[in-house]
Parts: sequence; C-alpha cells; structure tokens
Amino acid sequence: MTRISARYLAKRVVVSYLTLLVIMSLLFVLIRSMPGSFIQSMITPDLDPADIQRLRETWGLNEPLWQQYVDFMTNYQTGNFGRSPTEKEPVWDIIARRFPRTLVLFGAIFISGYIIGPIMGMYLGWWRGTTRDKAIFSGSLLAYSMPVFWISWLFIWAFNYKLGWLPSSFMFTKFPTEVYGPGFEWTAVTLITDLLKHLALPLISTVFVGWVGSMLIMRPSMNNVTSEDYVFLAQAKGLSERTVMMKHAARNALIPVATQAIVGLAFLLDGSVIIENVFSWPGLGDVIVGAVLSRDYPITQAAFFMLAVLIIVMRLVTDIVYTYLDPRIKFGGDS
Amino acid sequence: MSTQSENASQVDSLKERWRPRIERVRRGWDRYTEHSMGIVGLIILFIFSLWALFPSWFAPHSLNWVAFLGEEPGRLTGEQVQQLPYPPAFGDPFFAPLGTNSSGEGILTLLVYSARDAMYIGLAAGILSSLVGVPLGLISGFYGDTWIDETIQRIVDVMYGLPFLPFLIVLVAIRGISTTNIIIGIAVTSWLNNCILIRGETLSLKERAYVDSAKVAGASDTRIVFRHIMPNVVPLAFVYLAQDAAAAILAQASLAYLGLADFTANSWGLMLQNIQSEGYVFEASWWLIPPGICIMLIAAAFYFIGFSMEDVTNPQEDG
Repeated sequence: MTRISARYLAKRVVVSYLTLLVIMSLLFVLIRSMPGSFIQSMITPDLDPADIQRLRETWGLNEPLWQQYVDFMTNYQTGNFGRSPTEKEPVWDIIARRFPRTLVLFGAIFISGYIIGPIMGMYLGWWRGTTRDKAIFSGSLLAYSMPVFWISWLFIWAFNYKLGWLPSSFMFTKFPTEVYGPGFEWTAVTLITDLLKHLALPLISTVFVGWVGSMLIMRPSMNNVTSEDYVFLAQAKGLSERTVMMKHAARNALIPVATQAIVGLAFLLDGSVIIENVFSWPGLGDVIVGAVLSRDYPITQAAFFMLAVLIIVMRLVTDIVYTYLDPRIKFGGDS
Repeated sequence: MSTQSENASQVDSLKERWRPRIERVRRGWDRYTEHSMGIVGLIILFIFSLWALFPSWFAPHSLNWVAFLGEEPGRLTGEQVQQLPYPPAFGDPFFAPLGTNSSGEGILTLLVYSARDAMYIGLAAGILSSLVGVPLGLISGFYGDTWIDETIQRIVDVMYGLPFLPFLIVLVAIRGISTTNIIIGIAVTSWLNNCILIRGETLSLKERAYVDSAKVAGASDTRIVFRHIMPNVVPLAFVYLAQDAAAAILAQASLAYLGLADFTANSWGLMLQNIQSEGYVFEASWWLIPPGICIMLIAAAFYFIGFSMEDVTNPQEDG
C-alpha cells in the first residue's frame, strides 16, 4: 500500500465502480434483447390470456422497460437479486450455493496452472533456442490447441470408462453406500478424499490445456530478463545457475504473468461453462448456460454481475500486487 | 524503341523503389524458415486450404453419400441402421476409410468438407478483430494519456468485465445461430487483446527519434501514425491475427459443444456435438478422435505461424 497514493487508489475505485455500472447497463440491454422470455416456458396450452397477463405482471414484465432498468440497477446495488422464475427460489440462494463449488474447481485449476505454467516458462525462456525448448514449446502449443471438452472426453474414456479409476461426474458420490459398500459413513477424511477423486479428472483435463497460457507469457519475459545487467552481475558473482535463474531472473519475469493471471481468471471462468458441463460439476458455469438458454433474466444478470465484480476487483488488485513485485512501479506517486 | 527504354527505366525505378521492401520481406522469410515450427504450420495450413478449396479431390465420397446406399436416395433397412455408426471399412459393403457416423455419413468425407468452415471462421474472425483492435490500439497509444486514450481504455475495461463465453452465448441467442453471427460474436470479444498490445507497442514507438523528426518536419498526426508507426506495428498485428484465428476456431468448437453451432454448415465442432448428442462419445472412437485432431492441428498451425512470426518481427539474440 505504501507505494500507492490514497488519491490514486480512490480514483481507481471510483472508475471501477463506474465501469461496473456501464457493464450492468450493457448487460440489461443485451439480455433484454434476446428474443423470447422465460414466460414462454411457463405457458401451457390450457392457460388463458388473462393468466398469461397475470404471470407477466407477477414477474414485472409489464412495467415499462425504463422502470425495469431502474429497478434492476437499484436492486443490484443493495444486493437484491430477485427470484428465479425457472428455479423458483431466490437468485442469491442459487448463487450462494453454486459459486463456492465453482471456486473449489477453479481455485484448483488456477493454482495448478499458474504453478506449472510459469515454471515451464522459466525453463523454456532460460533454454530459449535449444532443441529441448523447441520440442517442449511446440508440444505445449499442440496441447493448447485442443478443444478442452474433447481432451476431457479422452481422459474420461481412459480413466473412467476403460480403467474405472476416477469418477467422471459430480462433486461428491451421490449414493456412497453403493460405491463404498454398506455401512459407509461420511467423515471429514472420506469427504475430502471423495472430493479429490471427483476433482481429479476435471483438474487434469483443464490444466493439461490451460497451463500453456501462462507459459506463453513467462517464456519471452524470462528471455528478456536474461540479458539484463543484474542477471550478468549475479552470474559474475559466481552464484549457481539455479540461484540466478530462480531468485534473480524469474522474480522479475513474473510481472507480466501477474497481469495475465487476472485476465486469465476471466477466461478460466469462461472455461467453467464448458468444463462444468462436461463433468456435471454443479457450479455457476452450468447455471449460466441453462439460464441464458431458458431466458431466466434474474439468474443470467446476477451471474454476469458476479463475474464482472470479480474481474473488476481482481484488476484493481493486480495493480497493487505490481508494486510489490517491481519496486520501480509507482502509481500516482509523483506524476 | 524509345518507349521500350522508357518502360525499362520505369521498371528499373519501380524495382529501385521496391527493392528495400522485397529485401526486407526476403530477410524476414529467411528468418522465418529457420523455424521448423513455422514451416510445419504453413504445411498444415496449406493442406487444409486445399481441403477447403477442392474438397471433392480429397474426400472419398460426395457429401450426400450414405453408408449401404451410396449416392442413391433411399431408406436404410432397420438392420443396417442398427450397424451405424460403422467402424472403418474397406471394400464391401461400402468404402469408408474412417468409418461412418450414426446417420451413415463417411467421417473422412465430413472431415474434408468441414475444413472450409474452419478456415473461414479462423481467418474471418482473426481479420475482423484485427481490423477493430489494431486501429483502436494505434489511436489509443498515439494519443496516450489524453481523453481519447482514456475513452478507448475504459471501453476495453468494460468489455473485459463481460465473461467471454457466456457473452458469446447471449450474442448468438440474440442474433441467431449462423456461422456469420458466431464470427461476429468472436470478433466483438477478441479485439481487446489486439488493442491493448498494439497500444503498448505504439506507446513505445512514438517516443523514438524518427517520430520526433517527422513531427519537427511538420508531418500531420495521421501521416505519422500511418507512415511511420503503423508499418512497425503491422508485422505484430499479423502475429495476433494468427493467434486470434486459432482462438476463434477453438471458441467455435466450444460453442458447438454447447449446441450453438450452425447445423446447416459442416464443421468439426458440429461433428463433435453430434457425437455427444447421439451418445457415442465412448463407443465410436473412429468418430470422436479425427475431428478433435483436425481442430487441434489447424489451431496449432495458426499458433505455430504466429509464434514463428513473432520471432521474425521481434528478433531476440540467440542464446
């Protein structure tokens, strides 16, 4: 915090908030311009027009659009997300139940990807131009080019269908006594091992493709710092290659990776849509697709809103993290 | 006689004028060919282009060929339908080198005819997002720290706040599922990176001495941007174009997985979606694996080309 002036921080927070308001307005326009509405899925042939009218009234669709917009904007500021017409429960409850599950899966993917990627990038950048670098680099690009659901299918085929080692769907075993034998009871240990088993396949499949993103940023960045004076100095001091690479070069090469991590966070959440669908992971991504397709405005808006808040906050955090990674960077200090 | 020599001198002067550029391109090409990865990428892309342009030369059958029936319109018997999807078969009862899908169409035929869609989506989305992102990045970078830059960057911020895939689903839901709309959706969301990266490059380029001297010489802003800065940015723009093309192809496959593919077109993504909806993901490996490999190869080809070009445009010391 020390390197960021309070005034700059305040300005950034205000701008972030305004950005959020614009995103919300954009969301409102976009979602309302989708043809059809959730009312259509509620209408049955024996429903007379008066009932349909009453349905529309109940869900506030009869109000003028500007009124709906004002309601939407004011309600969201206070955390009131309304009720979902298709799930018949408050949107907040749905999100509160689903979001942690997404967070578990994506926390795991994010952490694994951003450990493997930068480490690989570090070595490849250090070895740049060698045969080893070329081989691993083109191999990783091939992995990066795989559709993630396709590689997931291949993994499921191998580890679930053929070998039967790992479960391929849901977050926990639904009927544990059938799988683990009668008399089975949940304890903290069995719960965690069960979760890890279910986590394994989605994690492996996504990270198999996803680690490349951060590697692609780390590799050139690492290569750039290898020609910096302080690296030569460290080498001249007679430090081992390993120390120079890890302590002196990699630390500074990590800065662009940190930016990428934030942007990557947004893309990971995109990935959640696909990967949760493939593995029937009961998270938010799964809900979003269903909500969009059934025109469930309240859920769609709320889910987008949550993601937008997350991304905006994370972008703000990056700038702060920067100042710690690179003491040369200052925000709003003397300029 | 005189006209001929005039022509010749014109040709000479033209040659003179173009020589440095040709020379530059040739040097770039020489550097490019040092990368076996880039060459592999070009070869893959070349093969897929041939598939896209002349599918009938490569496909074993025409598109309306159906297993057991061939080209004749007719009905399969119940027993024949039971046998579909059929594993790879040579000779009788029909010739299907990669097997068939559950409606009796040859996998290899579909693969070849789908190349056009992939090339189209990749190139169109790549070019579109470059056409939006590069000029905006140039303007934003050139007018760095003014209200113009601020405005463009805030727009980028807003767009970043919208998660890519859900946003694309909404767009496709609004505009209907067609290949063109999918391309527009991908382009709308993918120009951001181009814009940011080109802006960064422009910010550093405009501090160079030759831009200052152009300014002193009285060149207008437009002239400086287009004559002095843009030529240095264009090679980089091609790098991002290749990467965007790859990303677009993968995005289309993801959309297809979710059932948002144009069902009237032939695409590898749609083939994979069909396997899923017909429930043959684990039974018919001859049907599952080839489309995935094709998507992987074409996306990788674009990435290979992109990263080899990056090295050409931004040569780093070897070592």
